[in-house]
Amino acid sequence: MSAETLTKETGEIYVSQTRRRVLGIVFLGVALLIWLVFMRGLDPEMTSTMRLYPGGSTVVVEDWEFNTLNALRILAVGCAVVGAYQLVRGFKNLTGLAFALIGGMFIFAFLSWAASGGRLNLAGMLRIMFIRSVPLTIGAMSGILCERAGVVNIAIEGMMLTAAMVGTIVGSLGTLWFGLLAAVLTGGLLGLVHAVMSIKYRTDQIISGTVINIFAVGITSFVSAKFMQAYPEINSSGIFKPYEIPVLGQIPVLGPVLFRHNIFIYSMIIFVILLTFLLFKTRWGLRLRSVGEHPKAADTLGINVFKTRYMAVILGGMMAGFAGAYFTLGSVGRFDSAMTAGRGFIALAAMIFGNWTPLGAMVAGLLFGFSDALAASLALLRVKIPSEFLLMTPYLITMIVLAGVVGRGQMPAADGQPYIKE
Amino acid sequence: MKGKLFATFALLAVVALLVAGCGAADTPTPEVTEPPEETEPPVPTATPTPRPGVGVKACQVSDTGGTDDRSFNQFAWIGMERANVDLGVEIRFLESTGEADYAPNLNTFVEEDCDMIFGVGYLLNDALLVAATENPDVLFAGIDTWDTADNLLGSLYSIEQATMLAGYLAAGMTETGIVGVYAGINIPPVTAFSDGYYMGIQAYNEAHGTDVTLAGWDPVAQEGLFTGDFFDTDKGRTMTETLLDAGADIIMPVAGPVGAGSLAVMAERDAGLLIGVDTDWSSFFPEYAEYVLGSALKRMDLVVFDQINAMVGGTFEGGLYFANLENGRVGLAVGSEWIDLVPASLMAEIEALAADIISGAVSAAFPREAVE
Repeated sequence: MSAETLTKETGEIYVSQTRRRVLGIVFLGVALLIWLVFMRGLDPEMTSTMRLYPGGSTVVVEDWEFNTLNALRILAVGCAVVGAYQLVRGFKNLTGLAFALIGGMFIFAFLSWAASGGRLNLAGMLRIMFIRSVPLTIGAMSGILCERAGVVNIAIEGMMLTAAMVGTIVGSLGTLWFGLLAAVLTGGLLGLVHAVMSIKYRTDQIISGTVINIFAVGITSFVSAKFMQAYPEINSSGIFKPYEIPVLGQIPVLGPVLFRHNIFIYSMIIFVILLTFLLFKTRWGLRLRSVGEHPKAADTLGINVFKTRYMAVILGGMMAGFAGAYFTLGSVGRFDSAMTAGRGFIALAAMIFGNWTPLGAMVAGLLFGFSDALAASLALLRVKIPSEFLLMTPYLITMIVLAGVVGRGQMPAADGQPYIKE
Repeated sequence: MKGKLFATFALLAVVALLVAGCGAADTPTPEVTEPPEETEPPVPTATPTPRPGVGVKACQVSDTGGTDDRSFNQFAWIGMERANVDLGVEIRFLESTGEADYAPNLNTFVEEDCDMIFGVGYLLNDALLVAATENPDVLFAGIDTWDTADNLLGSLYSIEQATMLAGYLAAGMTETGIVGVYAGINIPPVTAFSDGYYMGIQAYNEAHGTDVTLAGWDPVAQEGLFTGDFFDTDKGRTMTETLLDAGADIIMPVAGPVGAGSLAVMAERDAGLLIGVDTDWSSFFPEYAEYVLGSALKRMDLVVFDQINAMVGGTFEGGLYFANLENGRVGLAVGSEWIDLVPASLMAEIEALAADIISGAVSAAFPREAVE
């Protein structure tokens, strides 16, 4: 039984007493951690410097320099106040927000401590966070499209890898836009294969997805070694140039972080808004979700379950293809074998973390992106943590979040079950 | 219905596995141009270039990253291709997709009757030693491996000598006073690059009284910026953006193909310069040549070719091979677009430094004992 239930009368989220107290104690623990660990042995004169524009930016603002010890004091007291309120009264349906607030304060305290006596490029980190989140968020939306219609898609990785390769080849021979189109179509084609196997032939969907992943690794390393090595001109597509949005791009701090990217980052935001609207505000979305929740009922009401599932899985494949194109046409401009590096599986975690909603998936994607940026920045600041542990950060966060925060996710009821028409 | 289902599925699985297998096993196997069998009695006359290697088979097992990585694995493969063209040796290749592949790949080649099997990469050391012990009739050679036997040659590269020259060059050319580096995995043949780079920067600082710093590697703690693998090119982009944001302007990526991500960022921002590793990156990435200041060369192609040549000539010996500046198996190549732009005085200093390293007056290795 989940710890949180929706009471019918008020629509308020009821948070159990135990959960409230445990969270309160955790919050107070964070305050203590900041006070006892970070502030320990810190020189009172020590300052932290945050740079607020990424390298290469035209919008230059002054560095933000502050006294580390004072900042940590304020943050520790802040955490303690939030924790005490949570312990005594509880934030009720704002608990999630309180959790995010504590997380934010803790991360900022950590960064201030790590940057004490040095300089950290905060804007650069946030920029990298957005860039790194792109394949995860778009990949997760591929999973959402499929699973909301009741088909598990663990082939996101394979679809991305194949699409990345096809996108590079077509992009090198034609234009980048053709490359992008080809990548999306490749993803759609693999989506069709997955759909035929899992909907028509009712293969175990996990196996069908695994086959596509194995196939993708084989075909891409084959083509890469056999053809792309011999003809380097088919492996030099180049990348989409960043485009600065007029006016918005000139806002200090936020401009270069948010509004000076290539089309993939903008597309991610557009897709999240579009898919949220389509899934939850339109008849199309309602039908798609009904097929994933209770296909029999949907069928009784005259919805074509098979057609809806085919459409969802093919669209999901196209979405994965778009995410795959990011690796070559949006990031590096050439294909290397295994370059998606398991990001398709992290995208699945982002989907679960985001509770099968596009917005949640993006939040998850940004969190993973942030942990990547954080790991790189901490290594540069020579924080005394072994690099192997820093590289684990994204996976640690995945485990903490999956186990502790979204333990009560609501997966579509008919997810993974083939539909048999009687 | 059920039979059809199974047939379709099985077919797809078989195709997938087949292609996966081909991808690894079948890769560049240039045809041997001369037929190995001669039906006519050999005519003892005009063969101007004798191809003594005909009928001999040399095989190579790569580490992860593939022979098309334009770096580590590919350079070793180039030595094999040269042996194929010059000596007529038949060459074969298997790519490892993970550490679990090393031993099976080596065994596959033993069963295919290869005369000599190369293992390319530090991580193959143990698998090579096991294979060499179990198959005393087959010759083995490793790149970046140290265990030896009568039929197993290890080879160690003093790459820090080359990266010391690269570090000196970078320190002389930086505008921000910060030079950057990131690497794949924290293992000695990788960190040797970073150590030498650091030593070169220190040598420049001592000679010129400057204060150029290195971001991304702490030689005392032996810790720094790592991608954790040799194939995640998007992570190379992240590392490069982080280094550029921290003010570094000349970056050396010691992570094989991942470095391509650095060049993409530099071209996008039109900022920063790169020090390539293993091969001359200005010729491997001609489209980005203007961002390649220089490359620290690790001439695995020459070492591989030398060993095949020795095997064909019957002079192969197990033991340990040392590649260094003196025998030209490591070195510095200035990027093709930068040859005329590097000041002559700086080049002269680098040449003097190279001479000092060869003579032993200067050590490129980081003095770890002195620190401890």
